[in-house]
Amino acid sequence: MLCSTIRQILLNTQKEYGSEDAVRYKIAKNTIEAKTYTQLREDSESFSCALSALGEQGSHVAVIGATSYPWLVAYFGTVNCGSVAVPLDASLPAEELCELIDRADVTVLVLDEIRKDVGAIVKERCPKLKYLISMQKKESGEEALSFWQLLREHRGACDYEPEPDKLCTILFTSGTTGKSKGVMLTQRNLAENATCLDMKIPPRTVILSVLPIHHAYCLSMDILKGISLGSVICINDSLLRVAKNIKLFQPNMILMVPLMIETMAKKLEEVSGLPAALVKRQVFGKQFHTICSGGAYLPPAMIDLFGRYGITILQGYGMTECSPVISTTVSWNIRKESVGQILPNCEAKTVDEELWVRGSSVMLGYYKMPEETAETLVDGWLRTGDLGYVDEDGFVYLTGRKKNLIITKNGENVSPEELENKIGENRLVQEILVREKEGVIEAEIYPDYEYAKKKHIKDIRAALQQIIDDYNQGAPAYKKVYSLKVRETEFEKNTSRKIKRY
Amino acid sequence: MFEQLVTIICNYVEVEPENVHPESRFMEDLGFTSFDFMSMLGEVEDEFDIEIDEHEAANIRTVGEAVEYLEKLQAEA
Repeated sequence: MLCSTIRQILLNTQKEYGSEDAVRYKIAKNTIEAKTYTQLREDSESFSCALSALGEQGSHVAVIGATSYPWLVAYFGTVNCGSVAVPLDASLPAEELCELIDRADVTVLVLDEIRKDVGAIVKERCPKLKYLISMQKKESGEEALSFWQLLREHRGACDYEPEPDKLCTILFTSGTTGKSKGVMLTQRNLAENATCLDMKIPPRTVILSVLPIHHAYCLSMDILKGISLGSVICINDSLLRVAKNIKLFQPNMILMVPLMIETMAKKLEEVSGLPAALVKRQVFGKQFHTICSGGAYLPPAMIDLFGRYGITILQGYGMTECSPVISTTVSWNIRKESVGQILPNCEAKTVDEELWVRGSSVMLGYYKMPEETAETLVDGWLRTGDLGYVDEDGFVYLTGRKKNLIITKNGENVSPEELENKIGENRLVQEILVREKEGVIEAEIYPDYEYAKKKHIKDIRAALQQIIDDYNQGAPAYKKVYSLKVRETEFEKNTSRKIKRY
Repeated sequence: MFEQLVTIICNYVEVEPENVHPESRFMEDLGFTSFDFMSMLGEVEDEFDIEIDEHEAANIRTVGEAVEYLEKLQAEA
């Protein structure tokens, strides 16, 4: 059923499946705890009441942490009372998180204690922040309020009806200039993206959620679509334990990025001599049937390989700026070379080979970045930066990228300029170009040979590797540089003296 | 520990056991992806009956560092 607000999604499902499990998660090695749809609704409404009592209804609320029940309660409690949720990447360095909190005008931060280093500096770095709420602390104190105590103290219903076209979520995504951009999404953007297409996924489907929740793809498809279908959302506690958690939670479906699918493919190929049905039962369980793939390019051979084990891969395509799904494959109409059919709430056209899309899931714009917004949104059309076209049946085909953005196999967007600026700060680096090569990020550097001579640096390669190692130390895994190429000549430049990228 | 780890490593990447050394780097030299690495550690948890911290593991770069980290966990267990 098409819903135009996130509240409508939760309420519809709670009415139908109130006493059934909504979320399952591990509390010890092999022990699972569950929360029902009614509990999720009640707890999130209590969180809304708490925000209102703090005088923060309508404010910007950042959430930092891995996927967890409190994360979900904080998210729904925030957006369902007309406030704006700002989910942030829990793997970013503390300084960077503080910069984003400040830039997004956040006044309330809900923090998982895994990032207590952020809690230690955030009040000093972010003067606009008024409240720090800890997901784990049992009692409120001077340092931080307790999430659970807030829920207890403000237990109650919230009947606020959010307006569909109001901003409800800001998601940060890598920008081409090196500075990440806050994508502003409305209730309608997200709710219609999750509910406009009937993918014939049966109710009570068990989903194992393995992707980071600050990603639009996980938030929209695992959580919002999952809830709209009355699914059971099982939380994977660590990427180390996907295989074990598949056995524990026995899911029917998992959303993955191509990187994960390729690792699983290697394991399947290793036992290719064994009967397919046996392998499938051992690895995924009898009940497992579907993988949804998104975030990056998936080699079509994967669809055939998993097909041999009775597993359907449904490939999708999108970007945060479109909440995020633009097209998806459905199980009854698969074309392997395509990234699926365009969603019913979206239309597309090709302008100078670039794919442009328009519809109810296209963002409002980038938060406080009017220039970048004007470059990306043209008369209501979103310039995707991808080269491609849509055929007469609505299937989308991608042929390349227009922007410099690197899309890693795990779907993370990395701005090469951001890395070039950081590594290029060292005097030894005269010119640098960062790109993706064979699945990893490569930095090609033209060193300042004069400077090296002056400083008596004999092994220039080792010195450059040290610079890369130092940079990698503070960088999240997906931004680490794993390949170094040293140049003896300057890069070729275009007429405006910029390095030619390709 | 080193030999057992090499056996597991060779299940994830196409490399001969004799070409895996303590100084081999998982990503750069052995061709691991970040998810290959995580999945392998999941297997190592079962094999050695230990619990690995995902965040600590993110700092491991070479096979030698992995052995050192795993031995430390085993000693604590």
